[in-house]
Amino acid sequence: MKKALTSLVLLALVISIIGCGSNNNKEAASSAPAASSPSASAGEASPSATASESQDPVTLRVAWWGGQSRHDYTLKVIELYESLHPNVTIEPEYASFDDHWKKLAPNAAAGNLPDVIQMDISYLSQYGGRGQLEDLNSYTQNGLLDVSDVSEASLSGGKLGDNLFAINLGSNALLAVIDKAMLEKAGGTMPTENWTWEDFGKLGSVMKSDGKILTQDLRHDVFFPFYLRSKGQHMYAADGKSLGYTDDKPFIDFYNMYQSWYDEGSLLSLDKLAQKKGTPEDGELELGNAVSTWGWSNQYILSSSVAKRPFEILPVPGWNENKALFLKPSMYFSISKSSKVKEEAAKFISFWVNDIAANQIIMGERGVPVSAKVKEALKPSLTPDQAKVFDYVAWAEQNSSQMDPPNPVGAVEVDKLLKDTAEQILYKKLTVEEGAVKFREEANKILAKN
Amino acid sequence: MKLRDNNHVVGYLFAAPFILGFLVFIVYPVLSSLYYSFTDYNLLESPNWVGFDNYNQMFTDDEKYMKSISVTFNYVFASVPLRLAFALGVAMLLNKAIAGIGFYRSAYYLPSLIGGSVAVSILWSQVFGDQGLVNSALGVIGIDTDTSWIGNPATALWTLIALSVWQFGSSMLIFLAGLKNIPKDYYEAASVDGANRVRQFFKITLPLLSPIILFNLIMQTISAFMTFTPAYIISRGEGGPLDNTLLYSLYLYKRAFVFYEMGYASAMAWVALIVIGIVTLLIFQTSRYWVHYESKGEK
Repeated sequence: MKKALTSLVLLALVISIIGCGSNNNKEAASSAPAASSPSASAGEASPSATASESQDPVTLRVAWWGGQSRHDYTLKVIELYESLHPNVTIEPEYASFDDHWKKLAPNAAAGNLPDVIQMDISYLSQYGGRGQLEDLNSYTQNGLLDVSDVSEASLSGGKLGDNLFAINLGSNALLAVIDKAMLEKAGGTMPTENWTWEDFGKLGSVMKSDGKILTQDLRHDVFFPFYLRSKGQHMYAADGKSLGYTDDKPFIDFYNMYQSWYDEGSLLSLDKLAQKKGTPEDGELELGNAVSTWGWSNQYILSSSVAKRPFEILPVPGWNENKALFLKPSMYFSISKSSKVKEEAAKFISFWVNDIAANQIIMGERGVPVSAKVKEALKPSLTPDQAKVFDYVAWAEQNSSQMDPPNPVGAVEVDKLLKDTAEQILYKKLTVEEGAVKFREEANKILAKN
Repeated sequence: MKLRDNNHVVGYLFAAPFILGFLVFIVYPVLSSLYYSFTDYNLLESPNWVGFDNYNQMFTDDEKYMKSISVTFNYVFASVPLRLAFALGVAMLLNKAIAGIGFYRSAYYLPSLIGGSVAVSILWSQVFGDQGLVNSALGVIGIDTDTSWIGNPATALWTLIALSVWQFGSSMLIFLAGLKNIPKDYYEAASVDGANRVRQFFKITLPLLSPIILFNLIMQTISAFMTFTPAYIISRGEGGPLDNTLLYSLYLYKRAFVFYEMGYASAMAWVALIVIGIVTLLIFQTSRYWVHYESKGEK
């Protein structure tokens, strides 16, 4: 009897302590900046907006991810919208990329998703395919969401099958950002746009002689799939139930190359990379330690403005093989299925995509605008850096092929698996060949659940 | 009779806020997590009953899970004894009657006040970073290194253990109270008999303190198993490098909120509950061999 009592007390103790523990976890997890509600004064402004709209007060929740500069200008766009639509109050909810998705899923479970959600291509199948997002076709047809100036190619990036689950906010293309002055100071010459990965690797020893590195890293989940495209392969099978390739050769070639750069000290060592915050302020190129950085075109503007020195843009090697280059929606806006104010949400997205004053605040930070009219209108006011990006994306559009379809469900886990595998290769826990097999088998296992 | 019934009602009424809170915020979530642990639940669609699949996968087909278990056990077995030893050592220092002892006691308790917070974890990643305090200090004594202790697979977990040891305050306070309860005459008698300090420590202090050690050991072991915040902040939510700081609760959290596998994560939580229960029980079982209750003789 006494024993039973003891174990009962013990169980209660363990449960209550675990209860406390998990509370703490939640606190830590939700440490993302709390969304500040905008001043309510906008609702009291004179009701001079277009008379045709309903004037019932509407509250619209808009969620996005980003860094501080994106939060700042997005709030300005929201203020502008509220001043034009006095009956609308917008509750912004913003966080970093990772926290954005951590907040969304429980919201979805509670049927409480924000009305307008900034969507990423890697989550589109999860949310769209699982009935969380509204099909926007009816809104584009009835004109509430005006896409008359948006090309079909740009629009199709938000489609799953025939359903338009997300509106593309801007076009992105992959690029390499090169610090030409640093390269020439070290005795190198600026490569042409037809450069190869080998040309890039050879710059390693040149930069090393000057105490610099090539770049901090290349994102595995971005550049390995690109490499696959240049070999005529794809990361994911069309049905999303497996990887798109069965031959490990591209993996082995790519990671042999990657490892040789790493081993000769041309990339940032992994222990230091683990501490990088991933912001431009913290980037090795921006800090003047690396000759290049690799990423999406919209990131170029922040890079050069942080570094305060001019950079050159080059396409990623292999872009001219198998038409590997592609335009990708940098991000989308979606409307949640559970939203009660879908029409107002559609109007807000339409404003974001088409309004010239709004886009003069945004200035292509979410990718080159998809509306041809907006693109034209912005041209005179672009800074030289912004113009470079617009030109590059325009050039890329002429030299690209259709992007891969949105990543299948499970891709988030596959991306992490790729990163883990690459680290194990670089730490010499696995050979490249072993890594190739392990990655393919485990990724296929994850995707087989679909 | 009637009066007694009324008393019950009043009693329950006063206890109602707690009982309600306990039912709604503890019992219901605990039971629903048990249900979810038998489902495939991605938060976006309604849960799908899969029986024991989650538990099966955990033990037969999840390398990372095994890795996180070994990381967690390493962490617990290293951090708990070190932390307790450290706490006891400091408690004994602070048990001396010296001027300004109150100040020292507060000062030593300070790290625990700011304890498991996010700020300390961020501070920690600065201290052990590649250009952190530790490397600067090593530079001063002539060891030049620019490795990041946090990013290096061999040392990453040890920075977490060091952080846990540094937060020894609450155990220290309890030890201090225990030390004060040991009658001074025991020590006087022992020194009259010619026992030196070391002998006094092992023959008097440790046995008389053993019930308190047991209490601290259990509390600290349970909380060590549940450690989340430092690993989450210091490894930026990844549990890296090479999963060497992938503590159990961090992996659980990743499964739940990064991969959207609530069913699997719930199953992990239940396994953790059972394992922690077993470990706690084992500690209780062994206690009869080393815990000394003064009142035992009177039983």
